[in-house]
Amino acid sequence: MTEFPKLTYETLTVGEEFVSDTHLVTPEDIEAYAFAVEDDHPWFSGPSPFGGPVAHPTLMANQALLLRHGKYIVHAGLHARMEFNFLEPVRPGMRVRSRGRVIDKYERRGRQYMVTEYVTEDERGAPLVRGQFTQMLIPEGTRHAGR
Amino acid sequence: MPVAETIAVGQELPSLQKEPTQRRIDVYSGVRPRSIHTDPSWAHAKGFRTTLAQGMMSTAYVSEMMTRLLGAGFVKGGTLSMAFIKPVYAGDRLTVHGVVKETRREGAGTRVVVEVWCQNQDGEKTAVGTASGLAPHPLAPHPTLSPEGRGF
Repeated sequence: MTEFPKLTYETLTVGEEFVSDTHLVTPEDIEAYAFAVEDDHPWFSGPSPFGGPVAHPTLMANQALLLRHGKYIVHAGLHARMEFNFLEPVRPGMRVRSRGRVIDKYERRGRQYMVTEYVTEDERGAPLVRGQFTQMLIPEGTRHAGR
Repeated sequence: MPVAETIAVGQELPSLQKEPTQRRIDVYSGVRPRSIHTDPSWAHAKGFRTTLAQGMMSTAYVSEMMTRLLGAGFVKGGTLSMAFIKPVYAGDRLTVHGVVKETRREGAGTRVVVEVWCQNQDGEKTAVGTASGLAPHPLAPHPTLSPEGRGF
């Protein structure tokens, strides 16, 4: 049984690791994502240079971004930076998961940030996307100024 | 979808227009209570005038622009780094821009580095960064933007 403590800057530890559940990438996932980002590239549903349909390169980014939700109750946050290295295309029928590790946390101008490096892999453990992201923590009982 | 034979430093890529409506945000982020993306009252409580698009939607827009430019050489071998500097609100209208910043030989091809940014309907930049991908061949000099062609 997993327990979910509240995520706070103080309890977050540099070096701690996250892992997602495995997700089966379906044609419906790819279609919904294409709708959301207004991009209906023909490779998403038909032939591509990779021998069949591929997903939008950023399809699984939310699996990585939400890694901390598999361990903590996250009050609120904002995404500050994102980096991707697209190593292999994500394809329908793959079972993918993401793993991440907190590599830094810092406070700047009264705001708290965490930095996570991640990899999204296929069912054989082959890396598909690597990168890192920076998330701002919005502590409970506070408001963000709304830049 | 062939990759252009000529891509030159300084070249402006065709811009994209995007409108992250609440419905598209809902599909992207999944509808949840207590979410700044899909729960207007929670977004207000956190200090925002309404719900926000996820920053990651802007990375998807840039990814589309780079795939249009470089095709398979972005899907496999591409990189993207973006900072989200202003909120994008539901209903904003974004324009996605790119200007080629650098080209350099990499293996048998050419890595094309593009400065990218998204701008809202008020002309404010909401996200800025850099993307790159591989053109499958050495790039020929651009007829008008190569250093030799800039003398007019």
